[in-house]
Amino acid sequence: MKPNIVVLGLSALFIASSGAALAHHSGAMFDSSKEVSLAGTVKEFQYTNPHSWLVVNVPDARGKVTEWSFEAEGPSTLLRAGIKKSSLAPGDKVTVKGHPLKDGRPGAGLVSVTKADGTVLNPRPGAPR
Amino acid sequence: MIPFNVGGAALVALIASGVLATSSNAAPPPGAAEYASSWAEFQALRAKAHGGQKKTFADLPDWSGIWEREVIPGYPFDPNQPKGGPATAVLTPEFQARYEKKVADAKRGVEWDNLSYCLPAGMPRWLTEPRLREFIVRPETVWLTTEQQSEVRRVYTDGRGHVPDDEAFPLWEGDSIGFWDGDTLVVHTKNMRAGQYQRRQPDYTDQVSTVERIRKIDAQTIEDIVTVYDPPALVKPWRVVNHYIKVDEGAQKDLRINMWSCNENNNVVKDESGTTNFILPGEAGYKNPSTLGRPLVQ
Repeated sequence: MKPNIVVLGLSALFIASSGAALAHHSGAMFDSSKEVSLAGTVKEFQYTNPHSWLVVNVPDARGKVTEWSFEAEGPSTLLRAGIKKSSLAPGDKVTVKGHPLKDGRPGAGLVSVTKADGTVLNPRPGAPR
Repeated sequence: MIPFNVGGAALVALIASGVLATSSNAAPPPGAAEYASSWAEFQALRAKAHGGQKKTFADLPDWSGIWEREVIPGYPFDPNQPKGGPATAVLTPEFQARYEKKVADAKRGVEWDNLSYCLPAGMPRWLTEPRLREFIVRPETVWLTTEQQSEVRRVYTDGRGHVPDDEAFPLWEGDSIGFWDGDTLVVHTKNMRAGQYQRRQPDYTDQVSTVERIRKIDAQTIEDIVTVYDPPALVKPWRVVNHYIKVDEGAQKDLRINMWSCNENNNVVKDESGTTNFILPGEAGYKNPSTLGRPLVQ
């Protein structure tokens, strides 16, 4: 059973501009032509260098949980975008958008996080969405 | 790819206001082929500056603050590179072929960057990287730093020469000496390691050497005119103009740089096809940053 994933088509403009700030490695592993949107519960927010990672438990329609890992920018970039270590805590309900891995494993390059109160965490405010 | 940062909005405003000339509007750099070597160029500049001026703390320029390279998609070495390429370097046939293969491989999804081993960027790639920078100016030395793995370039301005050839070996940031021509720091760098200017940019050899003229052109901008010499790879020297923008202003005035280690959380691997991938949490071989090197954490 697949988890509750919404795959969105993206414009050529977005494709050309995605993969932002992934300075320490190629973005070749991500499918920048796709965007997934997953609802789940934060397991861990690794606020680390060279990249931060958000690990989220995502249930499917039958309740089976898959652990998804989203790569984001490092702390100095996130902090400048107003995203703090304290912004995401284990147990928080979130909906995460990201570019999925090409190989189908449950990982993605993080685009944005929407918290239960509607707050949107965007590491790249102003960049094309 | 857009290396966006919150300083980008300020940069856009600066461009819109005309305070900062964009790369495409900047005056073209002086011709780059008039010297036989980087050392010849450096010597000529030093002679023109009558040997350079000894500075005291009282008359050093103020380069304080936190800076970031101007935001350019893809981080090309030359900000004037046409969008999407190709690089503006005039390459020897061997290095042109290497470059074209690298770009073609990337377009089919095969791309690897040695930075992903958590190795430093090193010079001259150091010039192209995003991340926060500080420039520490003293009478006898200038430190050019970036938060990325705390890479520091030390430029000795106390009159010393380069390390003797029999002591020299390739270094990540090379061996840099310099002098002051007014408020322009002129730097000669040699003894660098072979590398690449950036992922979808050409490669350079360990014979690469550079001449830089670094100056603050306004309160928000430091300019670095760089000429790269690398005879095995470049048909003629490659001269580019980079700008570093002050970012610790306005809402970011209290910005600070923290030391960081790339190995803190690096689960990037080269797969069997030669491209870049991850080991994800829970998979074999994953290095958990919450416990890695933390004996008190189980």
